[in-house]
Amino acid sequence: MKVVNISLLGHKDHGKSTLIGSLLMQTKSATQVRINEAKVYSKKLGKAFEPAFILDSFVEEREQEMTYDTTRAEIKYKDLAFALIDVPGHEELIKNMISGASYGEAALLLVSAKKDEGIRDQTKRHLFISRMLGIDQLVVAVNKMDTVKYNQERFEEIKSGLSGFIERIGFQKDNIHFVPVSAYRGENLVRKSPKMKWYKGKSILELLYENSKPGKARANETLRLAVQGSLEHDKDLVVGRVIRGQVGIGDDVCISPDSIITKVTEITVKGKRAKKARVGENVAIRLAKKVNSDLRGSVICGGLYCPVPRDTITALVFVTRTLGKDLSIRFNGTNVETKSVKVLKHVDTTTGEESASGKVEPLNAIVAELKLARRIPAERFDETMELGRFVLYSGKDFAGIGIIK
Amino acid sequence: MIKQDTKVLEEKSIYILREAKQKFKNVAALWSMGKDSTTMLALARKAFLGKVPFPVIHIDNGIDFPETYAFREYLAKKWKLNLIVAYSDIRPDSVGSACCGQNKPDTLKKVMKWHDFDALIVSIRRDEHGIRAKERYMSERDQNFKWDYKNQKAELWDDYASKLEDGSHVRVHPLLDWNEVDVWSYIKKEKIPVNPLYFSRNGFRYRSLGCTHCTIPVKSNARNVDDIVKELETTKIEERSGRSMDKEREHVMQRLRALGYM
Repeated sequence: MKVVNISLLGHKDHGKSTLIGSLLMQTKSATQVRINEAKVYSKKLGKAFEPAFILDSFVEEREQEMTYDTTRAEIKYKDLAFALIDVPGHEELIKNMISGASYGEAALLLVSAKKDEGIRDQTKRHLFISRMLGIDQLVVAVNKMDTVKYNQERFEEIKSGLSGFIERIGFQKDNIHFVPVSAYRGENLVRKSPKMKWYKGKSILELLYENSKPGKARANETLRLAVQGSLEHDKDLVVGRVIRGQVGIGDDVCISPDSIITKVTEITVKGKRAKKARVGENVAIRLAKKVNSDLRGSVICGGLYCPVPRDTITALVFVTRTLGKDLSIRFNGTNVETKSVKVLKHVDTTTGEESASGKVEPLNAIVAELKLARRIPAERFDETMELGRFVLYSGKDFAGIGIIK
Repeated sequence: MIKQDTKVLEEKSIYILREAKQKFKNVAALWSMGKDSTTMLALARKAFLGKVPFPVIHIDNGIDFPETYAFREYLAKKWKLNLIVAYSDIRPDSVGSACCGQNKPDTLKKVMKWHDFDALIVSIRRDEHGIRAKERYMSERDQNFKWDYKNQKAELWDDYASKLEDGSHVRVHPLLDWNEVDVWSYIKKEKIPVNPLYFSRNGFRYRSLGCTHCTIPVKSNARNVDDIVKELETTKIEERSGRSMDKEREHVMQRLRALGYM
């Protein structure tokens, strides 16, 4: 069964874990033991049944009613399965949110309709991050509709309050859908709810199902094979993953950043000799020319030339902590020292607005020019996603993510 | 139970196993002779072209089932495994989490230190338990094997955890995405040998294998791998329902894992 990864997004307490818990219950995807366990603990804390406890398994998560770290749960719907990725909504746990959301192919954003809740900075920040992660399909669940008597005006207010921002950061209008829901009571999750007859659209699962079109076919593009290294027992066997295009025996290839031109003489896929390897496959290949250097972090490109490797990159960087002097990027499996960062623009992640001046602060973004200690086989993010992104480190600490322009 | 595409799962596991070998100097794996860690070895044989290029550790408390020992000898020979048997003392009066929580991690600490392993492949799966579902593909453990679950590292875009300090290690979880039924579908497809205790005898079989003290069989008529796959597609019974330690008190798994349990 095909599994589509859906990342949950949204401010803390707007109902992400509860929504997943309810979906697990309604689609009968949670086992009785897990449900019972959540029931027992709900009771112990003197609460009515808390569906979020099916996801929030740490004792601290249950007692403090917050999600600390990401997890996922699967539900079956028609001929598809959705892996729903739960993420924490708290600002200080943003690294865990990014870790979880990075595996999403589409996103489900929650905004609470409850009085005094509504659209928050973190609601928008999560959307901003999801765009950087390459997510382009979005369903917005306007949650806790039961607390506002399923009022249509409140739904429309949130919808119009958020639409401008969503489009400004680059989502296509046709790829965004708003649904009024009550995650806790299970309204409009699997089926249309009779409580909101004014809503003419579809339920959450119906929309996620419709949006899960097959991804972009990348088989016909020029080969890119990201190299992990070589095998211990036979150093001439280069291992890595085909990230686009395909590779065949006898193909001319160019290895970036060293611009080594050679041919492929042998391919092994999943332990068996093969003539070809395709997108997504992990390979072990032998090359006509003996390469003595460690190829980890290199990219094998199809044809007789490679894109020019770069030691200066311009990138949109989301910053998660105050940056120190000792910066580096993790790119394609390697660590690359960053010599300098020149800020070109500041981007407010809650409005999408850019400005020339400002401070580099956690939870905001910058467009910057990074000078690196060596050349890397970087490409534009919109060209080759896997080679157009990096993780930023300040000393030993995760400090943000970047996408290359 | 949701049956995923084992081709997708297989690619991810191969990638993680190779990444572990690239990143760390001295990798080892835990092998309980159960279905998961045996499947992991089959995946390693694919990733490393027919070889399992790391030692496999059996934490042996002397009270595993006779079938389990026989299976260990059989497969170790057949797949030319570099097997490390680490003997763990057991007190006859200690059962459940008191036993698993102390004896096994203590023995593991000794063997990890003795061999100076810096990465340990553990074949846990997200669908086994809510706490295991909170894991990363690669996750640090400090010198005392403590899992700092409140402050896990960011993990995205194939950037995985590195070793923290001397004496610490990284747990590697290549099977994290797999469901129980996926493991059995893959065993079927790849004809991976398994411990015979998984098959029904007199209406009972083992779903999850621990030692003789704490594992009880569940009702089942699944006599072969095909039957098991069919059974799992419809069952509502939890995989670890035959494991007594999971049931003692709430959050026992969290406490055990924070202390270094698998």
